[in-house]
Amino acid sequence: MSELSEEMKAKIREHFGHYPTKQAITLPALHMVQDAKRCVSNKAMEEIAEILELAPSQIHDTLSFYGYFRTEESPLGEKRVWICRSLPCMLRGGEELLAELCERWGIKPGETTPDGKLTLELAECLGACDGAPCMLLGDELSLRMTADSVEELVRG
Amino acid sequence: MSSVFVNDIEVEVGPKDNLIQAARAAGVEIPHYCWHEALSVVASCRMCLIEVGEKKSDGTIVMGPKLVPACQTPAKPGTVVKTETPKVKTAQQMTLEFLLLNHPLDCSICDQAGECYLQDYTYKFGKAQSRLNEPKVQRLDKYHIGEQIALFTDRCVMCTRCVRFTREISGTSELQVVARGSVEEIDVFPSKPCNNKLAGNVVDLCPVGALCSKDFLYKKRVWWLKSQKSVCAGCSTGCSVEVDQNEDYVYRLRPRANPLAQGHFMCDEGRFGFKYVQSDQRLMGPTSKTISTSGTAASAVLKNGETVGKLFQPADLAVVDHWPSVIKETRERIRQAIVSNPSGFAAVLSPMMSVEEAYLLASYLKSIDRNVKLLLGPIPIVGENDCYPKGVDGSSPSVEKTKFTIRAEKCPNRFGIEAVLTHFQGSVVAIEDAIRGNHNIQSWYFVGGYPLSDEVATWVTPAIEKATVGASLLIVHDIFPSSLSMKADIVLAGAAFTERDGTFVNHRGLAQGFKAATRPPKTARADGRILSELSERRGLFNVEGIRKEIGDKIQSLESLSIGDIGIHGVELREPVGAYS
Amino acid sequence: MTNTEFEPILLARINKPDSASLASYQADGGYSGLRKALDMTQAQVIELVKASGLRGRGGAGFPTGMKWSFLPQNITGPIYMCINGDESEPGTFNNRILIEEDPHQVLEGIVIGCYATKATTAYFYLRYEYGKCYRTLQKAVDEMYAAGLLGKNILGSGYNLDIHLHRGACAYICGEETGLIESLEGKRAWPRIKPPFPAVEGAFRRPTVVNNVETMACVTHIVNRGAEWFQSMGIPKDPNNPRDAGSYGPKLYCISGHVNKPGLVELPLGVTARELIDKHAGGVWKGRKAKAVVPGGISMGFMSASELDTPLDFAGPGRVGCLGLGTAAVIVIDDHTSMVDVLYNACRFFAHESCGQCTPCREGTAWSTKILERIRSGNGKLSDIDLLLEISSSIGTIPGTTICGLADGAAWPIKNAIAKFRGELEDYIRSGRKSEAPILVGAH
Repeated sequence: MSELSEEMKAKIREHFGHYPTKQAITLPALHMVQDAKRCVSNKAMEEIAEILELAPSQIHDTLSFYGYFRTEESPLGEKRVWICRSLPCMLRGGEELLAELCERWGIKPGETTPDGKLTLELAECLGACDGAPCMLLGDELSLRMTADSVEELVRG
Repeated sequence: MSSVFVNDIEVEVGPKDNLIQAARAAGVEIPHYCWHEALSVVASCRMCLIEVGEKKSDGTIVMGPKLVPACQTPAKPGTVVKTETPKVKTAQQMTLEFLLLNHPLDCSICDQAGECYLQDYTYKFGKAQSRLNEPKVQRLDKYHIGEQIALFTDRCVMCTRCVRFTREISGTSELQVVARGSVEEIDVFPSKPCNNKLAGNVVDLCPVGALCSKDFLYKKRVWWLKSQKSVCAGCSTGCSVEVDQNEDYVYRLRPRANPLAQGHFMCDEGRFGFKYVQSDQRLMGPTSKTISTSGTAASAVLKNGETVGKLFQPADLAVVDHWPSVIKETRERIRQAIVSNPSGFAAVLSPMMSVEEAYLLASYLKSIDRNVKLLLGPIPIVGENDCYPKGVDGSSPSVEKTKFTIRAEKCPNRFGIEAVLTHFQGSVVAIEDAIRGNHNIQSWYFVGGYPLSDEVATWVTPAIEKATVGASLLIVHDIFPSSLSMKADIVLAGAAFTERDGTFVNHRGLAQGFKAATRPPKTARADGRILSELSERRGLFNVEGIRKEIGDKIQSLESLSIGDIGIHGVELREPVGAYS
Repeated sequence: MTNTEFEPILLARINKPDSASLASYQADGGYSGLRKALDMTQAQVIELVKASGLRGRGGAGFPTGMKWSFLPQNITGPIYMCINGDESEPGTFNNRILIEEDPHQVLEGIVIGCYATKATTAYFYLRYEYGKCYRTLQKAVDEMYAAGLLGKNILGSGYNLDIHLHRGACAYICGEETGLIESLEGKRAWPRIKPPFPAVEGAFRRPTVVNNVETMACVTHIVNRGAEWFQSMGIPKDPNNPRDAGSYGPKLYCISGHVNKPGLVELPLGVTARELIDKHAGGVWKGRKAKAVVPGGISMGFMSASELDTPLDFAGPGRVGCLGLGTAAVIVIDDHTSMVDVLYNACRFFAHESCGQCTPCREGTAWSTKILERIRSGNGKLSDIDLLLEISSSIGTIPGTTICGLADGAAWPIKNAIAKFRGELEDYIRSGRKSEAPILVGAH
């Protein structure tokens, strides 16, 4: 049975006309799969490779370079919470915020809560330094966060 | 000005040379890891950083402000290269210190010791001490990389030669990089190991002891190995190789660069497929039905505990040398058979023979009587030519894009044998054609020399069996016993390609010299010596002398007349036989 | 956040209702610049941008017109423009605000730039974390297609252009020109060796030009209002220095860190750090003083308190030993903060983001991070400082040691911190104190 749905495969193929090579569709394809499945399994990588006419090792090579993607060994929880730890956020309590959340949720950065709901990640500069310390939930930024406002936002 | 100045030494450069090659021409070593002549340039190891400038027409030298990688800088005429300035030396020292930062420094258990770029460059260009005060990054060894390949991950310097090889040369793209930054590693996709037919090359490419050959792992320290420049006898590509041996045991074959031949690589069939030369099934000495050859090593099997390396003259086995009597008998019986029925005498020349051996046998027999038949022995063909790099779907490349071919013709010298046969008889007659239907051959001299393997079926086909029934004389000159040698009147024990000197001509007409790396087992003998004695030539068998004679007599092999054809070989003037 | 004396140009529309929509943009006269450009020849547009003295706002400050003129003139086949929306330099967020609030300003400049360079397709590489930007941008691009501002025969000019949005995946190195191209091509973002330069062989082996978001917004205004107008702002080139290309035009300055009013400020190039902090950011917070100021993103290093009167133009920070203006992202560090913690943060960032291709950066960034971790845990040695300096030399300060500039960015904070705050670092080490701030996870 195929890991990627026919719909997803069709969506990947929609990109064919946008780039001169199929390899360029690697990132969009990986995003699509991870958004749907919370990780990119080995089988998914093989299927992506087949559509894009690449070797699976090439897909895996690209995937493993970027901090964003997860393999089947460590899938994401329902919500992904990134706390920035770069200099502007560190100067305004970003590291303390991250430490507080680690303690409240009982996990370390990179891990998912046992109920599978929240994954806590550390991020490098999220580009919201005007509102440090900041947070990225999924792909939406929130500025001037505290541990309480983070919890409110993620659990709300 | 068409030259480059390397540390004030002026050298001529080729149009495509980079500065590493220019420096080499000047006798200056620029250390490097990631650059390789056969692979794309990435300039990522930063080991080859040098200072570069330009010599103006008025003689003044203007040096550039930056350090520049020598591997990515073309050697333009007028370039000034400095490799020993303080800036360069500091960069070299720092690069080596960086590379050794997370290195386990386990030379004492690492296969690469003695031929390791890290060892050599640290010794020549590095520092004796590291200033690391922190824990090293630890990495696990990976034995799943390939059937033949193990990765000791903590020794890797991330030169990515191996990854580029599987992408650019074999095309199979099994190797990849995982992760980013200082925790990067080489790996394969889960359940897709690097098992392509060229996989062994990544071990040669790896400049350190990260990628190792499981076949060779922990077998022998390389400083005990003596290397002999030779040619692989696996197929008609004729890859130039180095044969590494110690105490007459061949531990490994490695490809050596030959711009006239295969380039830089060899296939795994040739690389690992030479083991038959060390088989205890080998014919160890001559036998004859009529004279007593008991006690000959041919009938001796290895005793328990006897290692293959001690095949030559084991002290506790009384080895009797029957060659003098067997040669004498062979000579007499050949003469007798030819004189009584010249056209009923056939010699079958195997494509495993060297040019010199074929010439010796042919000229000897023809000198007795011109009507003696010379036949081309069986040509082993397995599958089809296998071209690389492959596409992702396993498809083969076009002719222009082919970088390496494993040929279907699994013998090294068909070209050479056909040249000799054409000279002596005007045309090439294959044994299969000669024995079809009625033939009146009663006396046979078969030369074999084929490897004993599962893939290549025995060369003694049913047709050959049938054709030799009732022969009045059957001489088999081979390295392994066969059904033919079992019924032969005389069996001459020859030598494998690692045990003798000669010339092979590959599919394209390149004549290369191969040389003995070890002695043949027990009393088996180099074929050139057997045939020299048989034909009563004066003096010892000498390849260069015979080449001169061949080059003078046979026009299509004229290029051999220089005698010493060097380490790359010579192209023959014109193709002959099946290749014209 | 605007200076009452300086009339904003790039930020003129961001507080208007519905500022991101095409309708609102056109109501304010939007796309008149494009119309003007389409009436000029492509060569004329390039000349105009050259004459304006516009220098790239992405960090390198390379003259934009000159970059465009490097493209081959008479070739067939695709030419690509890549817009660098990967904005990941710590302290930088100007592109985010531009895209979220006034995307058409940027897009108009992109179409003009593509027309001038004869680009056939534009790829807008957008960092993944800018989700709102992505959706805003996609909407704007859709509006443009619908209005005949993209696609075939733009505004009846005969010029065709497609724009595709390409989302990144959390890697700072994708902000490097050739790293971006490799990432666009679907590979790991390992920057390429140069030559060949992207203008000759870039994305998909074709001539390519890579430009920053804010730079393209400037292009829109240059075409609308002329080169002379653009040059009326900023600091002109030094007539005695033929290498000085001047610092012209308005600049978006990001201010963050220990100030009362962090945010985005638009001013002509050349404002001093002191004026920026005191006049436009409400001064240093909590009544404290600034100990160190980052002039243009962490890669540029640090200015000390005595260097705050340095003009923040392309030449100024270099004169006080910083790497350059960078992204003009000013980060203020107060005098209650330990430079050891700050330097550790910087080193850890680069160790995390190093692509790993070249030896000095791959090993040097991780090593310096580990040394600083050890110092922060109370086990530092005085010799560590000189060691750090040597490491930073090998990874960046000596030119040519690495393939790309990330290593230079990694080296400069170390170099500046040691040059300007050595005393503090030595005291820290001698005291053997441990850092109070949490060390949660190292570089990886």
